Amino acid sequence: MLHVKLNGHKTPHIMSLSGLLPFLGRSLQRLELRLAQAAGFDSFYPALAVSGPQILPQSHHSNNEENSEPSFLDSIFWMAAPKKRRTIEVNRCRRRNPNKLIKVKHNIELCPECGNMKLKHTLCGFCFEKVRKETAMIRKQISIMEGGPLNAPAVESVVLYENENPSEADKDKRIIERNRKRPYWFNM
Amino acid sequence: MRLTLRALISHGRVARRIGLGPESRINILRNILTGLVRHERIETTRARADEVRFYAEKLIDYAKKGDTNEKSMKMADFWLTEKDLIPKLFKVLAVRFENQRDGCTRMARIPNRENLDRASMAVLEYKGNPFPPLFPMKRVSELNLLNQLLKAYREEKAQMNVKLHRF
Repeated sequence: MLHVKLNGHKTPHIMSLSGLLPFLGRSLQRLELRLAQAAGFDSFYPALAVSGPQILPQSHHSNNEENSEPSFLDSIFWMAAPKKRRTIEVNRCRRRNPNKLIKVKHNIELCPECGNMKLKHTLCGFCFEKVRKETAMIRKQISIMEGGPLNAPAVESVVLYENENPSEADKDKRIIERNRKRPYWFNM
Repeated sequence: MRLTLRALISHGRVARRIGLGPESRINILRNILTGLVRHERIETTRARADEVRFYAEKLIDYAKKGDTNEKSMKMADFWLTEKDLIPKLFKVLAVRFENQRDGCTRMARIPNRENLDRASMAVLEYKGNPFPPLFPMKRVSELNLLNQLLKAYREEKAQMNVKLHRF
């Protein structure tokens, strides 16, 4: 009676941990068989016994087959997958709950100087931009006066605009001259 | 209160992590501080400005001790990478804040950076710098409608009081 061995597991399957241990066990058994055959020791039953039906060594393999098939198929069922379609009601609940919506800002107010909007704890962007541009022009003038890098003088500086003369307090200071009239927001 | 695992949960930890590690953090803050001493007004991210503020005020405190002080000179030498700023620190900034105990720096928040990262920015300056002021002077104008109405109300009230006192 021929026992056809089905050895169709050429498809790659994911090695889960619980599938790995029987695999290792089976590979060790196969190694043992191969070593025994190399030594000339083919069968594992007593040498003087009559060779019985061929089922004995092959039932070994058929058991392996039956064990490996369910574990291969079972390993797919152990991955997470959604059971049911999420209804549009449930989806809406998740997408529209307050922690996913953009929060309304209540800390916006008007800048009293220019009338643009600004955040309460922040400087007005427009007014700061004016100050930044003027600071940049003053710094350009400073760099021209200093000439090169790393020439910072060890004296205070004061900025004077057109038609302005240094006062008593500005005696020892370095004077930075700007060729325009004093802006109304710079009163110092 | 130590209720949980020390290493994994950071409840209540106040030290900020900047850059790649503690040494990197000190190097970054040192560069920012050098820029601040040179330019007296800089714009950086909010966290960095907040961190540098402490070091900036401490540096002024050391500079007030005078440039003959060994420790002060070592501190200035370490923290200012551009060495032409050391005389500026001792002769200009320390003198400027001679009579003040603390409050040498001013930090103000500015709108987020225009880049893709929209980082929250701040401007940090030493007080008494020659540049235009960040906060505009508050001018109370008498010509507003509200002020005119209040003025008229006060005048009427004064007149009523005078009339009452007559009788």
